Amino acid sequence: MIEFVLNGRQVRFSGNPLTRLIDVLREDFGLTGTKEGCGEGECGACSVLRNGKLTTSCLIPVGAVCGDEIVTIEGLRETEQGKCLIDCFAEAGAVQCGFCIPGMVMAAQALLLCNSHPDEDDVRLAISGNICRCTGYDLIVDAIIMASEKGAGLW
Amino acid sequence: MVEKCFIPTSLAEALEIRKETKARPLAGGTDLMVQYKQGQGITPVFPWPVMIISSIGELRGIEKGEDGSVLIRALTTPYEIANCQDVPYPVREAASRMGAVALRNSATIGGNIGNASPKGDLPQPLILLDATVVLKSLDGDREVLLDDFILGSKKTDLRDDEIIYAVRIPKVEYTHVFYRKIGTRRANAISKLSLSCLIRVEDGAVTDFRASSGAAGPKVIRSRETEAILKGRRLEDVKSLIPEVLDGWNRAISPHAMPEYRRNTTRRMLEHFLLESVSASSECIIH
Repeated sequence: MIEFVLNGRQVRFSGNPLTRLIDVLREDFGLTGTKEGCGEGECGACSVLRNGKLTTSCLIPVGAVCGDEIVTIEGLRETEQGKCLIDCFAEAGAVQCGFCIPGMVMAAQALLLCNSHPDEDDVRLAISGNICRCTGYDLIVDAIIMASEKGAGLW
Repeated sequence: MVEKCFIPTSLAEALEIRKETKARPLAGGTDLMVQYKQGQGITPVFPWPVMIISSIGELRGIEKGEDGSVLIRALTTPYEIANCQDVPYPVREAASRMGAVALRNSATIGGNIGNASPKGDLPQPLILLDATVVLKSLDGDREVLLDDFILGSKKTDLRDDEIIYAVRIPKVEYTHVFYRKIGTRRANAISKLSLSCLIRVEDGAVTDFRASSGAAGPKVIRSRETEAILKGRRLEDVKSLIPEVLDGWNRAISPHAMPEYRRNTTRRMLEHFLLESVSASSECIIH
């Protein structure tokens, strides 16, 4: 039996410990906000936070997160920080098709957790593992910097 | 097929499982989960029993020894290595350029060594520094040079009852040091080529010179013969010895693909390091 904390709630998983975390999130817990792009840890669409650090959930077997705290986009959007990020992504016009956005928002959250006043280079480094094929990134970078300014004190 | 998967919570338990079942450790998953993936929604299938070792606390952390050596335990991540000032520059630099943010939080030094990919980023600077691998089994410990432990592409000297416990980097003095990784882009790039160099100049004489090439052959390449060309020489003679060093290095590396590109680029990096070192007035990192 694998136990971990998912979006603040203690959960259990009794299947194969080698099941990818992304499949457990999407199939067993119905959290389909986490997307699968490449399935090889290259695109960042499946990013979640594991103990506050950005992790690609397609690469990690669920057996490796025993006792860990996992936060997905569904958990983040319920928080003030998440709401601020989502509002700023909307206001900046940072979203086109939207597929990469949950991963982008998680990467932004991971950055702001350790650096509440990032500059543009910090932001670009923080999302360097997240691929977006629509926006050209500039508006996403704007959105994250906007969140760090508008949400001053939240992080 | 019911696959065996164990989740030991202590090193002692892991060593028992390893001896009894030969289960192979899985840590960050960043290599193995890709290699054995079956596709979306399908659990990866491994051809051997697996033990997930990520919750073993005894395998975490970096420790500085009294002799100036640094012990990096197997589950330490590139993020932790890149941010630890006790770790020598080329190793920190290599760790900071692996994959992107999420990978640097998941991958482990033990995995990067155990996987023994010719393109692995950490073995190259570790071999430059004569790092050793500490292996543990129920029969005791064994410590071997990393350069000897990695036998070739994806091949190591790991016994099937052993676990990689840590990497030990001895204290190495240098006055000039260089690390470069060449990939197709800055994030998430597999190395096309990498090179670390260091030189120690004392009272105008070269007392140490080393170089190591990654992704330029089936394993990381050092050439003691070439390194010896500069050792003991006066600094002012180094410039005239560069062609000999480049020629020696050219013979030492054995790129499997695009050999001309890899040889030219390696020679240029090595020449750049030596020229910059000769003209640098004091200790520094060569970029």
